Amino acid sequence: MNASTATATSPLRPPGSAWPSRAPLLLLLAVALAVPLFVRSATYLHILILLLLYAYLTTSWNLVGGFAGVLPLGHAAFVGIGAYTSTVLSLQYGVSPWVGMIVGGFLSTLVGVLIGLPTFKMRGAYFALATIAFAEGLRVMVENIDRLGPFLLNGPRGLQIPPLELGFGRFMFAEKEPYYYIILAMLVLAVGITWAVSRSKLGYCLAAGGEEPEAAQSLGINVARVKLVAMAISSFLTSLAGTFWAQFTLYIHPKSVMSLDISFEIAFIALIGGRGSIAGPLLGALLLRPVSDFSRIHFGDTLPGLHLVIFGGVLILVMLYQPRGLQEPLTRLYRRALARSAGMRERG
Amino acid sequence: MTLLELHRVSKHFGGIRAVEEFSLEVQAGEIVGLIGPNGAGKSTLFNCVAGVFPPTSGEIVFQGRRIDGRKPWDLCRMGIGRTFQIVKPFASRTVLYNVTVGAFAVTSRLGEAERWALEVLRLLRLEDKADMRAANLAIADRKRLEIARALATRPRLLLLDEVMAGLRPTEVDEMVAVIRRLRESGITFFLIEHIMRAVMALSDRIAVLHFGHKIAEGAPQEIARDERVIKAYLGEDYGAA
Amino acid sequence: MIYLLEDAINGILMGSIYGLAALGLTLIFGVLKVINFAHGSLLMVGMYAAYWAVLLTGAHPYLALVIVLPLMFAFGYLLQAVVIQPIFKAEREVREPITVIIVTTGVWYILDNLGLLVFGPQYRNIQDNPLRGKMIEAGEMLISVPKLWGFCAALVTAALVWLFLQKTRMGRAVRATSLDRDAASLQGINPYRIYNIAFGLGTAVAGVAGVALVPFYNVFPTVGVLFDIKCFIIVVLGGLGSIGGALLGGMIIGVIESVGPQFMTATWTEAIVYGLFLGFLFLRPSGLFGVKYDW
Repeated sequence: MNASTATATSPLRPPGSAWPSRAPLLLLLAVALAVPLFVRSATYLHILILLLLYAYLTTSWNLVGGFAGVLPLGHAAFVGIGAYTSTVLSLQYGVSPWVGMIVGGFLSTLVGVLIGLPTFKMRGAYFALATIAFAEGLRVMVENIDRLGPFLLNGPRGLQIPPLELGFGRFMFAEKEPYYYIILAMLVLAVGITWAVSRSKLGYCLAAGGEEPEAAQSLGINVARVKLVAMAISSFLTSLAGTFWAQFTLYIHPKSVMSLDISFEIAFIALIGGRGSIAGPLLGALLLRPVSDFSRIHFGDTLPGLHLVIFGGVLILVMLYQPRGLQEPLTRLYRRALARSAGMRERG
Repeated sequence: MTLLELHRVSKHFGGIRAVEEFSLEVQAGEIVGLIGPNGAGKSTLFNCVAGVFPPTSGEIVFQGRRIDGRKPWDLCRMGIGRTFQIVKPFASRTVLYNVTVGAFAVTSRLGEAERWALEVLRLLRLEDKADMRAANLAIADRKRLEIARALATRPRLLLLDEVMAGLRPTEVDEMVAVIRRLRESGITFFLIEHIMRAVMALSDRIAVLHFGHKIAEGAPQEIARDERVIKAYLGEDYGAA
Repeated sequence: MIYLLEDAINGILMGSIYGLAALGLTLIFGVLKVINFAHGSLLMVGMYAAYWAVLLTGAHPYLALVIVLPLMFAFGYLLQAVVIQPIFKAEREVREPITVIIVTTGVWYILDNLGLLVFGPQYRNIQDNPLRGKMIEAGEMLISVPKLWGFCAALVTAALVWLFLQKTRMGRAVRATSLDRDAASLQGINPYRIYNIAFGLGTAVAGVAGVALVPFYNVFPTVGVLFDIKCFIIVVLGGLGSIGGALLGGMIIGVIESVGPQFMTATWTEAIVYGLFLGFLFLRPSGLFGVKYDW
């Protein structure tokens, strides 16, 4: 390839065009880093931590649900595996939750691949069904198991983590700020991975396989295999959030870490925000988490489930009018504003 | 050198014998056309060669290796590219993205893949549409994109399934020129085509499929004169096209 | 031993009602090629409709069918026509419209939580109805009468659906559309109308299941979720799109649920059902009667 072909990319991608598209994300990061300096209320910080947690979960989900073009509806299973693995290891064997987090991650990867193995070769509906059934099946089992071999699971009563030893090594803090920064760091990591995947061969193959599997196969892509890779990464990352959740709340039980509602909320946030895009999950969490917290706080007693009606309604409207999620019109607006300001600068 | 050999290939679906004992050899550098009335089994035969499904019986040999029953992605890596009769672009993506997916078959680096994809686009005169969404392309460009994408995988053999269908006469001429140019770069073609003018002008040899059976094979002029072919097929269509 | 037999029979009866509910789901899938995640919620709607119809009129519970059947058909028809169809049209070129699956989950959430908002979380049942708790004695066995009627309803409904698909002009159009939407539309069939009809029919079948359940089953807003997941498992067991498979799959689940507790805690049987489902998914994904598709 000669030099002229290399420069031929320039008319297609104006130099520096990557920067403005990254600018909002970086701005968001700067704001996120500064937030605990201003928000001193533990309640609001708690809500923000949950927002970041869901942004993280959705970003992890997006790797398979967005890029691979399938619909996983049982990611709570990985949250549960992560939470239980690290908690059991730390309670019974004194293993640092950080180590347990990684162990849980690999366990989830294994499970994710096992679910994907038979289902990725079939129509997407099977995969969606399999993930739901697996997650629910796992929850039912954990609810029934007090003891799994040497491991104490405590059935439906769940596990409490006594806050005996605080500190980073034990993943346990008296204040909320450390949790805030940990989940923020995890989110940055997940977004970074997503970004890298979207610009890699894997990302291209996933997108192609998700959109037109036959065409993708004819171009040398083993579609089922790349989906498995995506599933592996996604289930690993999702599992880490389970450990975070356990250490943050210090109490886990099957309904809190494995409920179908978690799986669906993740999927809804991704779909409304815009699946398959990097900003979509972040945007979705930013828009929807406050709705659900607000409605739970103010209408929790009088109108239970109101936020879910809103979620469902918003989801249908978004699918009808913006099937690629809300990130698309916003990105377009942003680009237009950018172009206009650039035009003004040229004229001025 | 023989690039592709089909040896008594049959494909049955339940009781339907879509292709029956079909044999053919394609030499490296050749353009071989496959014609026949609708439902003659042409696409089925293509799908057998491209690995969509294995033939019921018979052998397919590519570059001296048995390939029947191999998966499409393996065949692509071995050097067989294909297009689809009903085009299947990655519609939500740009033209460049579409072709880059193909280019990733030969490299793992995005920059390199994009450069190669752009080169292919230039070859097919699609470079000015590189940033357009594939969904917004007109039909002629969609067909070109289909070829570009397959071409980006650097195939030795390209299977074209009706890439001229739906094109205007001038566009057909352009496509014929494109295929000739590509053949000069060393690519072998095996193509299904309904537009007689194009297939007659392009092909070195033509095989005729009728109800799953090969009823004739030869140079375009011989095929045009062949009684059985005329009866089965050309009589009704040749003049029209 | 006799208890086991009794449990097995009651399990088959109850399971056939599960199968009846799943029949609607498999019907919709067969035609639209989309899993309707709102199916359990539609069943819930059918149950509430039957419940209120009986409570307000004081009629025999099964007479509620007169109201519930057309109501549910219309509801399903409109749901497909107004909410789902636009997405099908927008994604006409997409082979597998995941967006449609997603929209049905949205419908699920709306219906369930609207049910919660409107009717409250309490469990309701029709206290004084002639079928409640009624049993017939067969030798030493006690067989639940409303479940027996539910079993009959399941068989009759399945037979009627089958006859409709095989023998009527409209049914043939439905089958043609399910085989190949594009080819059917070339034959002058409007596939979207067929989708509406199939969706209405599937919903009406869920309504029949609702009417069969109301005399002996509690009605509450999330009752659909319970059946939703059972229906998913049943259709995969029986083979997506197969009528007989839905009934048989339902009966298998019913038997496991009723015989299982003789040997273990009831919640464990639930886990076994999930295990069975996953086993099928791995070993025979096309189910008992499912066609092996080249997807």
